[in-house]
Amino acid sequence: MNEVGINKITRRDFLQKGLVFGAGAAGLAAGYAAVPDVFARAVYGAKRDGVMNDRVLVMIQLAGGADGLQTVIPLQDSRLRTLRPRLSAAADQALPMNAQLGLNRNLRGIKALWDQGKVAVVNGVGYPRPSFSHFDSIRVWETGDPTRRQVEGWLGKTIAKNYDSQGHPLVGCACGTTSVPGALRDLEATLTVVNGQSSFRFSSADAERAMGAIYNGTPGIYGALFDTAVYTARDTVARLRTAREAYVPKAQYSDNARLVYSSRNQLGAALQLAAELIISGAGAKILHVTLGGWDTHDQQLARHDSLMAYLDQAVTAFHADLGAYGMADRVLVATWSEFGRRPQETANGGTDHGTASSMLLVGDTVKGGVYGQMPSLTALDRTGNLAYTVDFRSVYQEILASHLKVDAREVLDQSFERTPFIA
Amino acid sequence: MAARTPSAGGPTRRSVLITALVTFAGVATARVLGVRDLSTGFTLRPRSAPAMDPMDDAMDMAMDMPESEVIPAEMAPEPMATASAPPLQAAATASPAPVRATTPTRTPAPTARPTSTPAAVAAMPPIAPPRVSGFDWASPLESEKARVAHLLRRATFGATDAELDAAQADGYARTVERLVETPPAEPQAPAAIAADANARIGIGDLQAWWTDWMLRSPTPFAEKMTLFWHGHFVSDYRKSQTNPMYWQNRTWRQFSLGKLADMLHRVTIDQAMLRYLDLATSTGRNPNENYARELMEIFTMGAGTFSEDDVKAGAKALAGWRLPRATESVRTGVFDPSRAYAGTLTFLGKTGTFDTTSVIDRVLAQDVTAAYIARQVAEHFISPFVADAYVARIAARFRSSGYQTRTLMREVFLSPEFTSPDAYRALVKGPTEFMVSAAKAIGSASLGRAIAAAGTGLGQNLFDPPSVGGWGDNAAWVSASTMLARANFVSTALGATRTLPPSTSAVARHLDGVLGPETARELATTSDDRRRWLVILSSPEFQLK
Repeated sequence: MNEVGINKITRRDFLQKGLVFGAGAAGLAAGYAAVPDVFARAVYGAKRDGVMNDRVLVMIQLAGGADGLQTVIPLQDSRLRTLRPRLSAAADQALPMNAQLGLNRNLRGIKALWDQGKVAVVNGVGYPRPSFSHFDSIRVWETGDPTRRQVEGWLGKTIAKNYDSQGHPLVGCACGTTSVPGALRDLEATLTVVNGQSSFRFSSADAERAMGAIYNGTPGIYGALFDTAVYTARDTVARLRTAREAYVPKAQYSDNARLVYSSRNQLGAALQLAAELIISGAGAKILHVTLGGWDTHDQQLARHDSLMAYLDQAVTAFHADLGAYGMADRVLVATWSEFGRRPQETANGGTDHGTASSMLLVGDTVKGGVYGQMPSLTALDRTGNLAYTVDFRSVYQEILASHLKVDAREVLDQSFERTPFIA
Repeated sequence: MAARTPSAGGPTRRSVLITALVTFAGVATARVLGVRDLSTGFTLRPRSAPAMDPMDDAMDMAMDMPESEVIPAEMAPEPMATASAPPLQAAATASPAPVRATTPTRTPAPTARPTSTPAAVAAMPPIAPPRVSGFDWASPLESEKARVAHLLRRATFGATDAELDAAQADGYARTVERLVETPPAEPQAPAAIAADANARIGIGDLQAWWTDWMLRSPTPFAEKMTLFWHGHFVSDYRKSQTNPMYWQNRTWRQFSLGKLADMLHRVTIDQAMLRYLDLATSTGRNPNENYARELMEIFTMGAGTFSEDDVKAGAKALAGWRLPRATESVRTGVFDPSRAYAGTLTFLGKTGTFDTTSVIDRVLAQDVTAAYIARQVAEHFISPFVADAYVARIAARFRSSGYQTRTLMREVFLSPEFTSPDAYRALVKGPTEFMVSAAKAIGSASLGRAIAAAGTGLGQNLFDPPSVGGWGDNAAWVSASTMLARANFVSTALGATRTLPPSTSAVARHLDGVLGPETARELATTSDDRRRWLVILSSPEFQLK
């Protein structure tokens, strides 16, 4: 009866159901011994020679499907006016990058970094046979696999292949959230999730001690998951205790930008936490933050613009903070979203789910400029959407190979034409 | 992808811990008596394998028991394979510390295990990573009492002592009937709304109003179903505003166990939903695809079961609803034929004219629909690993009943799979479930506001799901951040509760007497009620259902 009713659990099930966090605990104490000093600059437990560098990656997920055409705006295309009688007003106030393209009017800080050659824009990023489902498309981007065969997240896989995350659980960390994003999942990667800096402490010493004692060798299918979560919590609490003393923000992080709908995202706070983890030398290598609210089926002109301001403030403060600590040359910030939006606007002044979009990459290691062909607004596909010009995995490849300097093919399973935005 | 070796000793369902209750010094606790290998039925394996180490550790807490009372794994008789076996009578006296082992067969504990002294905490970092168990929980579900407790953990929010006693007196079958047949008790309106139906309610007040009712409702199954539908037919207060979310909550409760067709109709024209998925602004001339897509993808059929043309046709067919005006007394959407689409459409393989009712009928005529809903329910209430054959079985019953949700739920609770060993502790309590069940366990009905306030930190802010897909489940609830927040909630709850019930019977009542070795060890170190409750509510055992 049970044989029929409830399946035996396979390794694949564990990944698909998110029962991850690398449970193999053997030899971990040795990994710890390799960290002599949490304040040492860039101490990572590298599994391999050659990946012991000080580079850090911060991925910002724009959840909900962020419109590309109101982010990186075609300035000269009359077709945009036809498709978007109202939304094309964004072109009038755009901040010109060149004769053809402008950044959203609210990306003022990022535009200033663009002027310094620290911003790359990749246009037309997408993948073949696009999905219009948020969740399906998020999974494609998270796993780096449009065929939907992979279950590991591309960042999790990068961590598992290259870094000793079990000895150093902050190597991969999601900031400002309570759960592990799919991109970071891998059975063999240990990850930390820190919702908020100030709340990340045990309210009673007795509870802290008891949790440490109880969550060890917990039975059951969730046992390793529980134990690892509690272990990383205790470890991170201890590290943040010291980090607080080593870090004072040197930029103004503000979460006060006005949004049409109030946002649940504290992007500024999340990036400030990321900065703290990087600057204090806590061993952070790959960080993930999320800003939601981009599913603009209505009132897109105002909603998208207000989110742009929010993004701009947070990213600019983050970059300035790192710069003040002399670390802006180590950290790459990249935005991603599950899809762009349809070129044709709807009656509510919004847009439906679309396909290709533009990605922003910010950091001192970036070779500033425009990459990728902006898709044609006249040759839309059968669903009325943009035809992608750059495979998103080509962007991943550049991040992995040129910024983090790891073997990209091992993560992506194939090679792509280079999008050379890293200097 | 290159094959990689699975993590050594990763968790599997191949073996289970065998525990039994031990009573000493008037304090019931559990002892680990052995392990059972699931792949070979109930055969006990010899203890020489490295994977057996946790059990050796567990022997540490054998206290001062005579050796004859300690049953080595290889000798344990089969009936000992459940925690519902009669408690062993231990001759031990209370000597919580120092713990020492008395079993002659004990081998040294593995290294890299954190010590539990405050000095070790002060010395952090480094903190040693945890070791891996490799064992599963021993299911006590042959016992009817354990089955009833299991049912109440899943169908409701755990139980107060009184609720558990009453249900166990009724037995399993009668309890199921009572749960599914009792009409939902309706909560009183929040104070602000009671005074003025149009007064704006704050989100904190709205959340506390609901969590308070979860704690006090005489029909907590209805609250569990309302929460289930809240995570299924998603809207949020940010886009839909608090008052429409309040009315939606009342509607979901009212329709929670009725016919799916009625529920879907109410979902479609619900004011909060009309706002959240933009159907209120969709017209036949300018259709908005948002609701039509999610109706099929998330609410009823699943991704990949319909075409983009179905989305476009569905959007046209469903258009015509607008929000009620302040002068209108209705709380649902109002249909305006001038906004609707009058022409012929092809939707899910059928050509003709469509309205909201015929769209819902067409969705319910798809073979995938019953299976999609049945899988959501089965994964939520039984196990994330339910087999397709099982889903097909309950889906067939669901469909032939005319999509009666009550029938589906009864079918689930009465199916052998629901109480099979593989279902035991196969689900992680969601944040709200965890907090409400903790409050009920300690008999504290006044924690509603504390529960509402802690939701965000634990990963579930009520009326505010993270996306149209709702919240995750099980593993998605577990992270460094959420486990910390759960521990801190326990401290808050205990701090706010002046008088705690005796912890003596809590292990048996709330944890079925089935404990892992470290929880058992930790409980054995103290007889102080407050500290024992801290361990019980913080334990992995209590996070599971």
